[in-house]
Amino acid sequence: MNFTAIVLWSVMIANLGVQKIPQGPVSSEDAVVATSTADPQSADTAPQSSGKKKKAVKPPDRFRWDDHPSVHFGKGTRIDFRARFQGDLRESDEFLDAAEENSGLDIAKRRVGVAGEIRNAVDFQVEAELANDEPWRDVYANYKQHAAIQVQGGHFKLPFSLDENTSATNLDFIYRSRAASQLAPGRDVGVMAHGRVLDRALAYEVGVFTHDGRNARTANSDRVFGGRTLAARVTFQPFRAENDWRSDLQIGAAFTASPLDEGFSDLRGKTALDGRFYRPDVWVAGNRRRIGAELRWRPGPFSVKSEYMRVTDERRGQSVDDTDLSPAIADGWYVSGTWAVTGESKAKGLDAPRRPFLQGGSGVIEVAARVERLGFGSAGTGETPSEGPRAEVIAGNSDRVETFGVNWYANRWIKIQFNILHDTVRDPSQGPLPDRTGYWSRVLRFQLSL
Amino acid sequence: MGSRNTCITVSSDPISRFIPTFIPTVFVLMAVVLNPARVQGQTTADLFNADVVQEIRLSINSRDLVELHERYQENTYYTADLTWQGQRVRNVGVRSRGTGSRNGIKVGLRVDFDRYTTGQTFLGLRSLILDNNWQDPSLLAERAAMAFFERLGQPAPRESYCRLYINNAYQGLYSIVESIDAPFLTRVYDTDQGYLFRFDYQAAWHGEYLGDDLAVYKPFFEPETHKLEADVMLYAPIRELFREANGPDDAVWRDRVEQFIDLRQLMRHVAIETFLSEDDGFIGAFGMNNFYLYRPPGSSVHRLLPWDKDNTFADVNRSIFMRTNENVLIDRALGYSDLRALYLDVLEECARSAADGDWLAKQIERLAALASGPAGEDTLKQFSTEAFQEAVDRMRRFAAERPRLVLDEAARARAGSGSAP
Repeated sequence: MNFTAIVLWSVMIANLGVQKIPQGPVSSEDAVVATSTADPQSADTAPQSSGKKKKAVKPPDRFRWDDHPSVHFGKGTRIDFRARFQGDLRESDEFLDAAEENSGLDIAKRRVGVAGEIRNAVDFQVEAELANDEPWRDVYANYKQHAAIQVQGGHFKLPFSLDENTSATNLDFIYRSRAASQLAPGRDVGVMAHGRVLDRALAYEVGVFTHDGRNARTANSDRVFGGRTLAARVTFQPFRAENDWRSDLQIGAAFTASPLDEGFSDLRGKTALDGRFYRPDVWVAGNRRRIGAELRWRPGPFSVKSEYMRVTDERRGQSVDDTDLSPAIADGWYVSGTWAVTGESKAKGLDAPRRPFLQGGSGVIEVAARVERLGFGSAGTGETPSEGPRAEVIAGNSDRVETFGVNWYANRWIKIQFNILHDTVRDPSQGPLPDRTGYWSRVLRFQLSL
Repeated sequence: MGSRNTCITVSSDPISRFIPTFIPTVFVLMAVVLNPARVQGQTTADLFNADVVQEIRLSINSRDLVELHERYQENTYYTADLTWQGQRVRNVGVRSRGTGSRNGIKVGLRVDFDRYTTGQTFLGLRSLILDNNWQDPSLLAERAAMAFFERLGQPAPRESYCRLYINNAYQGLYSIVESIDAPFLTRVYDTDQGYLFRFDYQAAWHGEYLGDDLAVYKPFFEPETHKLEADVMLYAPIRELFREANGPDDAVWRDRVEQFIDLRQLMRHVAIETFLSEDDGFIGAFGMNNFYLYRPPGSSVHRLLPWDKDNTFADVNRSIFMRTNENVLIDRALGYSDLRALYLDVLEECARSAADGDWLAKQIERLAALASGPAGEDTLKQFSTEAFQEAVDRMRRFAAERPRLVLDEAARARAGSGSAP
């Protein structure tokens, strides 16, 4: 399916929406349902079970098309059918792969899946990426009888990083932050307890996973990644009870811990457009630990998000003398802000516009900016940095990126984003453009979500 | 008075404390500054001091060391720290090296100081070779041959002996060999801007024209400088050299070939190899081998530099014209009377130089004295200690007899009764 096909499908769906969807404002709770993802903590992405249920009057027919095409089997049991298609037009000073240079079109993402609930007790989701070597994305079930303690098992994202655990449908930028994309674990097989306590002000997630996520793995089988992983994340909304401009403020922390076999670390630095700026051949052994801190605040049409995360890979017995080396370190941060210029509340969700395009409105228009950095190195000091696999002081590298964007939520299903990115690679000799420190990229994304 | 005493007391206290501290400090500083052990070893001249056996220690992670021995046929680099005379160079790259000498028992090593750390050098060197002396039972041939090239005015890599320790385990007697690379060019030619190629033996090749395709020449000539330049810049002059060397017209052969190689220097190089009875050199038993090709900046004329001479001193009786007709360049060059005369001149010069004051004999005795101790303790060497002594004896005989044999054959050749082609 190419970019043109996605657009044509979108127009068809939009017209379908004109006929099917009842007019009028969509409640914030509707928005919650519409943006349900695997992130059990995010207020705008919480599973339906942990929030209030949709209060719309159920029509008698078994098949419905509200947020998604769905089939209902009595009270509290249903299956939603979901699909998401994305196409990107990319232009960059950075080298693009040959196929893209010819067509100017990035390979579109095509995800399909089902989600639903059983007797108001279990949520489930099965999602796959079409034409992908590793097709399975979220495949899990979540027992949700009690909001304070729920149990989720299957293949899903480890509880680490706000940005990584935000659904791709709801991202403020076309690409996640570099840190979230490469340092957060991503998905793996595991089981997790989670819930909300203290009048839903405190949310927790604690899980055990077989490994430390797909993000940490490369196609190179020689690389090592974390083994059985313990992961935990806690978020707190200190002013939740105040019900004023402060109430949405959320802070959080997370960590993961995994054993790490002896071998070359799989950590690597890539730009948003997949250009490598750090190619380490660094021996590691021992443990891998991640720590993360996050902040999110969405007063009215504005939002601010920030995260810091750090990965340390131990290097036990890896020096030339068989002694320990200082840990290899990767860390990154970002600060981002958005403003819905059409005035909608960010906290209530922008992806279900009150005045959709072609339904008497223009949708939601949002502008966004982000500054971020991702860097690699080691904790060692006292000698000349080296690219040696057993160097105490690793000659690392870093990429600093400023992103400016405009998001247009045309209606519940269609979202168009335009981003301008400026990368600054500290040591360009390791980067995609060895003779240039900084360069620009431009990306247009068309997204259709059912 | 009291005031004066007080003054003296106040001023003398620091002095009385100062003098006992000052004097030993001066002595310590003088000792540090003048200590030969400290001063020695700060330059490449000290590293390549031919009169001592150096000690080099490498630290290699035990996992890497196992792999280095198991995969000695590969050119995989491993990280190491190199220590010499108290100086430790961190994060150097080491790999197995050699062709016939490559083995997993006593591994020949190439050490690259800037492999992992951009711009890192050691005493100004970017790399050096730790030659395992594997194929030479005498352990002297390489050292003696390179010293002889140098004595005859041909640029050659500097060398010295060392006891090599890896992770504190004695690996045997090695030769530290100066790499022929950009710093070498700077030392010898005052510029590193020329084109330098290491001849990489692929198959028996005696200088025949291999065709127009530059890609055919690439495997034989590994660039050590200008590595990123286009093939046409690197290899076109080499291709032209062999095209002209195989040209049919004797009338223009020399003029055209001399546009691409210094024939007089080539004859000198080959004559020295011949005197040393080199088995694996430019006119070796298996075709051309063991040399570098150097092309100065702004020139198309190449020169030869010697490399890896552990197969010299092979046969004291070897004819000075052995295999000269196998190599296209040498065969055609010897057809010119002045070049033939030059070849014989250099052979005679070699013989006289070797015999002058028993230079070669003394060189062998000096090297044998240096090598015998470390060689006796070298349990990883290919040949026995008895074989070492026998090989040294053969070299002594070579030094004693070779000059006269060469002079005699050269004289016969001049008189027209030699075995010249």
